[in-house]
Formats: sequence, C-alpha cells, structure tokens
Amino acid sequence: MIYPLALLISAVLSLLSLRQTHSEELVTALSTDLVSIQSNFTGTEIVVFGQISRDLNTIARPGVYDLAIVIEGPSQDITTRRKGRFLGVWVNRDYETFQNVPSFYALASTSKIGNLADRELLDELGIGLNYLNLAVSGSSGVPPSERDDFRKAFLRLRQQQGLYSEQLEGIEFLTDNMFRTTVYLPANIPVGNYKVKSFLFQDKGLLSKREEELSVAKIGFEQFTFTMARNHPLVYGLVAVLLAIFTGWLAGIVFKKD
Amino acid sequence: MQVYLPIAEIPVNMFVIFGMGGAVGFLSGLFGIGGGFLLTPLLIFSGIPPAVSVATVTTQVVASSASGVVAYWRRKAIDFKLAITLLIGGIVGSFLGVVLFDVLQSVGQLDLVISLSYVTFLGAIGGLMLVESVRAIRRRRSGQTVSVRRPGQHNWVHGLPLKVRFRQSKLYVSIIPILVLGGLIGFLGTVLGIGGGFMMVPALIYLLRVPANVVIGTSLFQILFTMAAATIFHAIGTQTVDIVLALTLMIGGVIGAQFGARMGQSLRGDQLRLLLAMLVLSVGLRFAVDLLLTPEDLYSIAIMKGAGT
Repeated sequence: MIYPLALLISAVLSLLSLRQTHSEELVTALSTDLVSIQSNFTGTEIVVFGQISRDLNTIARPGVYDLAIVIEGPSQDITTRRKGRFLGVWVNRDYETFQNVPSFYALASTSKIGNLADRELLDELGIGLNYLNLAVSGSSGVPPSERDDFRKAFLRLRQQQGLYSEQLEGIEFLTDNMFRTTVYLPANIPVGNYKVKSFLFQDKGLLSKREEELSVAKIGFEQFTFTMARNHPLVYGLVAVLLAIFTGWLAGIVFKKD
Repeated sequence: MQVYLPIAEIPVNMFVIFGMGGAVGFLSGLFGIGGGFLLTPLLIFSGIPPAVSVATVTTQVVASSASGVVAYWRRKAIDFKLAITLLIGGIVGSFLGVVLFDVLQSVGQLDLVISLSYVTFLGAIGGLMLVESVRAIRRRRSGQTVSVRRPGQHNWVHGLPLKVRFRQSKLYVSIIPILVLGGLIGFLGTVLGIGGGFMMVPALIYLLRVPANVVIGTSLFQILFTMAAATIFHAIGTQTVDIVLALTLMIGGVIGAQFGARMGQSLRGDQLRLLLAMLVLSVGLRFAVDLLLTPEDLYSIAIMKGAGT
C-alpha cells in the first residue's frame, strides 16, 4: 500500500517542480472522444492534435522537443501459450500469464524511443513496447531463461493482431509548436475506456504530460445484442432458438415441393 | 459487405459467411446430414474464434433440422416416445458438454480436444462408412442381392434391463442404451458444434434396430431439441452464441439444402455414402495434419480477464 502512495506523492511533487522550473505545457485534443462500434465498423482513425504552449517567462532553451503519444486500452490478463510435442501431437504446454496489460497500445513518437529519455523514465511512463510493464503471474512454470521468449511472442502476436503498434516518427509538426498524429484503431479493438497520454521531452527529461479520455463503445443494435447476451443470457438463448426454428420452418414452407 | 459481429467482436464478410452456409447446406441436403461437422471447422479455419464457431453452429443446426422435422412430422415418421427418451439423455449430455467446454477453455486445451475429437470421430465414422459403401457398390456390381437386416434380429443391447415398449418403432428395449446414446451425442454435439446425425442414424439402425421409416425423423427431432438446449446452455454458460453469425449461416444453409436435396435424388444411395465417407474422412484428416505438422507459430495468446472477455 505504501508503494503506490509514495509513487503518487513523488508524481505530484515532480509535477509541481516541473511547473516551477519549466513553463512548457502540453495542450491536446482528440478528433473524437467517442468511438462507436456499429454493424458497419471496420476500424477507424483517431487524430490527436496538440500544442506546446509557452508563456513569456519560458526560458528559451536550445535543443528540440521530443514527443510521445500513447493510446492505451483497458487492462486485461492475457495468457501466452507455447505448443510442444506430446505423444507425437502438438499441444499447448508451457504458458505465462501477463497481468494487467493494456488491451490496446499504440505509440507515436517524434524519434526513436531510446532518444526520448533514459530507460528508467521510459519504464516508469510505459513508453514503447519494450518498456511496457508485463508483470507475470506467480504460478508461472516457465524457467527464467525462457521468459523472454514468451514476452517477445506476446508482443509479436499482439502486433500481428493490430492491437499493439509503434509509429516512430509518427508525429507530424504543423508549426514549431503544433503537432498532429493519426492512430489507427482496428476493427477488433475491445470496448472500454481508453487513455490518450501525451509526453513532452527535452534533452531526455520530461517537461510536461497530459492525459485525455477516449471511450470505445458499441452502440445501437450491437450494443443491444451484446447487453442481452451478457445480462439476459436465457432470453438471448431462447430468442436464438426461436429464430432458428422459425427460419427452418419458413424454409420448409417456402420450398415445399408438393 | 463487412458486418461487425456483436459477440465474436470482429467484422466478417457477410457474403462469404452466407456462401459457407449455402455450400454446407447444399452438402447437408445432398447427404441428408446436419452439416455441423463441416461448418464448425470451416468457421474455425476462416478465423472465427473456435468457441464462437462451436456455439453458433449449434444454433444453425436447430434451423437446418427444423425444416426437416416439419416434413417428417406431417408424414408421422417420428417416434416421439423414443425421441423424447433420447432427448432426456441429450439434454443432460449437452449440459455436461458446456461445463467441460468452459473448463477446457480456461486451461487452454479446447482447440486440442476439438481437433482430437474431430480426428477420432470423423476418422472412425468416415472409415466405417467408406468400407460399408465400397462393399455395397461391389455387391451391386456383382449382381448379388443386398441382404437386408431383419429388424427382429437381436444383439447384446436387447439383453439389458429396464425395458420399455416403443410402439411406433415396434421395439421393446432397455432405456439405458437410449439414454446413453442420446447423452453421448448431446455431449459431443455441444463440445464439437455438430448435430451428430451421422453418428445417431447408424447407431439407431444397427444398435437399436429402429425401423428405417422412423429413423431419420426421430433422429432429426432429437437433434433439433438437443441443439436447442445446447444453444441455451452455450448462451448462459460460455456466452459465445453470435446471433448475427447464426442467422446468416442458417439462411444460407436452408437455401443451399433445397438444391442439395434435389441433386441427391438423382444419385444412388451407396454412391452418396461413398462421397460422404470421403468428405468426413478428409475433414478428419485435415485436423490430423494440423495436429501432427509443426505449427507455423508455436505461441498463441488468449484473454483471460478484463476487457473483451
């Protein structure tokens, strides 16, 4: 319990100290704060606009700004399994469960992730797929020497599904201090509350950060069907059966030969 | 036309799904089978999650057997007492099937059990059908008369206790094998996403000696209600029945079945059985190959908790 509290305090303090020493502030806006999934949903794009605002007191510093924008979906526990031969047949054998990992993760940055900040800071902020905190469950039977294989496989498969992505140099500067990036949300994104986090770096130090909310939700018929299936499964099941019997019966009538 | 499936949570091409339903429907009309054992693998191989494929096909089987049941009902070719006894076993089996399905899914061995079962059952049934149909064709070619099994003939099944009379089937047999048979088919059907007609019909004929005129109607009736129960159990237990996917499949299926049935009338019974045997065997073989060949990717991921489960 003490650890998260300490983290919070240090975060607040670091924010306060940031305010005092640097005056750069990030202002961001999303093209939409609600992505609605309907029957014609095949994925969508979301545009993040932003501005680095500086007031008169901002010390003019040499060096360039670096930015990272992360869109993160609600967390999940995901099991990664590896097949092995068992009696001549390929079966799932070893597995590793990653806990509280984002269901969706898209990163856009102005340069290579290593150039943004040092490893410690990147780890802390969760910037970059290789810096994501992938905590494994205690019950893992995988020897430590092979854990990295599971981690890599997990990241690779998530990228294949389009749910994890990195666009290095994917942020475009419109003016000296206005920027924009486009992130693709594929059709298989899970519903829930997403976070859009923006980070401003200079000389490997964090100057400012900003968080926006993005909601992904099914609407209309999709929402109705999904809620029925979840909250009233018996009714849903009965409707499915009646629909099937009706379709079959109707076909029997329509195509009757005699 | 891409349509987003509300339960599978992926977009699919509606025409492709409709076409699959139609093609399998055609074959099911041709051979007089439910077609679940073809449709479920087809959906799995095309990227629909196995759990959704299995559960949704149970709904599609309800539709495909419903139109048949209406016809047999009119002809009074259903032994209701026998069908309901089978059904009692079927519902219990189906319930156990959903329980097992859930357990297998959580330990990550569902795909393996589905594949192994397909290999075993399709291999065995396909093999038996192949041998039987080749023999029948040979006998016909050599001009021998086909020896019809007398319905009065008895086997070990008829020695079991708890006998009950089934008037319409002219049977006096123990209810134990009937309940077990119904239960087994209900169980397999629920776990594998198949109606099980291709197992039920031979079992009724060869094991119980049910007369040919009521076999199909009774089997269809039992499959209809067992799969209806399976749909409801899946809806409650695994929550993987996708109603949009099911509706598309069943519309394609019932249309395809009409054309299949018409074509089937112009083919000989033993030829049809030979074709069906080869079809069953090839689906089983496909699963066997997948189990034996080194997979392209050894790793797989599954969401256990949180968003999207």
